[in-house]
Amino acid sequence: MIIAHIMPLTILLPLVGAYLILLFGSKARNLARNIALIASVATFVMACMITYLVSRDGKLVYYLGGWAPPLGIELVADGITAFLMMTFAGVGLTVLIFAYDILAGEIKEKVITRYYALYLVLLASLLGIVLSNDFFNMYVFLEISSIAAAALVAVNGDKLAMEASIKYLIMSTLGSGTVLMGIAGLYMVTGYLNLGFIAARLPDAFATYPLTVLMTLAMLVVGIAVKAALFPLHVWLPDAHGSAPTSSSAILSGLVVKVYIAVLLKLLYRVFPLDFVRTLPLQGSLLVMATLGIFIGSIMAIRQKDIKKMLAYSTVAQIGYVFLGIGLFSEKAMTGAILHVFNHAVMKSMLFLSAGLLIKYSGRRTITDLAGLGRTYPLPMIAFSVGALSMVGVPPLSGFISKWYLGLGALEADQMPFLLVLLISSLLNGFYYMPIVIAGFFRKETVEIQKQNVPFGAQVSLIILIAATFFFGLFSNVAVDYITPTVRGLFGLFGGGI
Amino acid sequence: MDNLFYAMAFILFLTGFWIMLSHSNLIKKIIGMNVMESAIFLFLVAIGYVKEGSAPIITDASSGITHVNPLPSALILTGIVVSVSVTAFALGLVVKLYQHYGTMDVDEITRMRSEEL
Repeated sequence: MIIAHIMPLTILLPLVGAYLILLFGSKARNLARNIALIASVATFVMACMITYLVSRDGKLVYYLGGWAPPLGIELVADGITAFLMMTFAGVGLTVLIFAYDILAGEIKEKVITRYYALYLVLLASLLGIVLSNDFFNMYVFLEISSIAAAALVAVNGDKLAMEASIKYLIMSTLGSGTVLMGIAGLYMVTGYLNLGFIAARLPDAFATYPLTVLMTLAMLVVGIAVKAALFPLHVWLPDAHGSAPTSSSAILSGLVVKVYIAVLLKLLYRVFPLDFVRTLPLQGSLLVMATLGIFIGSIMAIRQKDIKKMLAYSTVAQIGYVFLGIGLFSEKAMTGAILHVFNHAVMKSMLFLSAGLLIKYSGRRTITDLAGLGRTYPLPMIAFSVGALSMVGVPPLSGFISKWYLGLGALEADQMPFLLVLLISSLLNGFYYMPIVIAGFFRKETVEIQKQNVPFGAQVSLIILIAATFFFGLFSNVAVDYITPTVRGLFGLFGGGI
Repeated sequence: MDNLFYAMAFILFLTGFWIMLSHSNLIKKIIGMNVMESAIFLFLVAIGYVKEGSAPIITDASSGITHVNPLPSALILTGIVVSVSVTAFALGLVVKLYQHYGTMDVDEITRMRSEEL
């Protein structure tokens, strides 16, 4: 029974958890965090099962309420979406383990249960976006995720975070409004909302209404780019991710910006045939924006004094890598982009979590004040260093693998200049990450620090993330083999729809 | 004339878009957001409208009466709920910001913040 309905249950579980938390947990904080933990562990286990089923059967399809599309809503898990879903469920769980003990010190007591509820709602919406194969359903989940994410930024009620939150909310509503207009346009010309059916009707529709189809694609891509913070549209990101509480920053930077990339991927490989997209000027603009994002994000990161702001700007640069991989339109580059979604989720959440710990214990946010903390707090500093080295792309860490595939992709697509972009940007990454690592271990402390114990949950989650960074660096073939069949299908079978 | 609704929807959409980006007053931004979303709803209703179609309440399928497409209207119901919740949340944030800063102007808030630093 569970196996047959596993996909909707995976989305439903966190929602039920959030409901139970608000119902019973408003007085009992301990109960709230336990429900949240149990719900996300269960979600993770089910995500693992879906991943296994997909690797066995190739693809899972579920019709909500038993109504086959185009009447009903369809959920689809294939190699790419199952991999992304696993990333979201896994990193979401790890961040929650981290927050288990720490959160009480960082969030006001009366909002803490609501924080857990919001967190679970966000997790559910992320999984919904990834699994849904229906455009309007996806839009509803997109809006749930933007409200929940903006609320997770503002949750503490301090002025900076609230200002960042409203900026974030306005920009992301702008993005989802544009996406909805695009969806309406696609519905107008094809008469369907299901991705597969749209794809089947698109060639005819393009022959009759070429301008409408092009405008629709442009609106969808721009809307997604606003929400995913592609370079000139990234202005909301540094404030929102820099001023949010630690666990919110980790999940926002690690997961929420990535989920829109999942939408873009689905759009490009389930709806718009790649042969068709190649004929448009889309590739050029994606590549230019991605390259600018990589450079300007890195340069802005170098200029920051606040460590969380620096990490947020680094996210702008890393999103550039993912868009670069998608924009190169080659099999290896696409593999690299999908791997980077996962690797960056792990690395960036590890960096934000360890930076959050260091800020909490030293009481300072400026980069120069973090010197010498490695001796008093080895584990957070080691986690930060592993994340930093992986960002730079030092083998055998996982960040190296995604850059390696992006590089191979650039060669495959015969776009040599982007190999240079990758090399120079790795150097730039080194410029802003390495000084912190070196000062953290070898410089004297600039502030008086009293040794406190790092809570157990935080230690466990940092160790999990470090282990994941090493594992997916050393045994990257596990992930690559998993997504390769689907990626290959996408480049072999243009326009067939999956 | 057939495309009048589509054209109006796009004019409204761009108006809302422009208000959201160009005005610094947060309330105006939120109004712009609502104008933009209403434009999308208008667009969807216009897609579903069939000329001289009646309300899609089908009692006798063989009667041969044309009906309007009910699906876009159903989508809009969901869309309105989403837009109301976003508006409510945004207004809540504006109230809080006003309590902190005493203004609803984004430029003013940015200026006050940079003076604090």
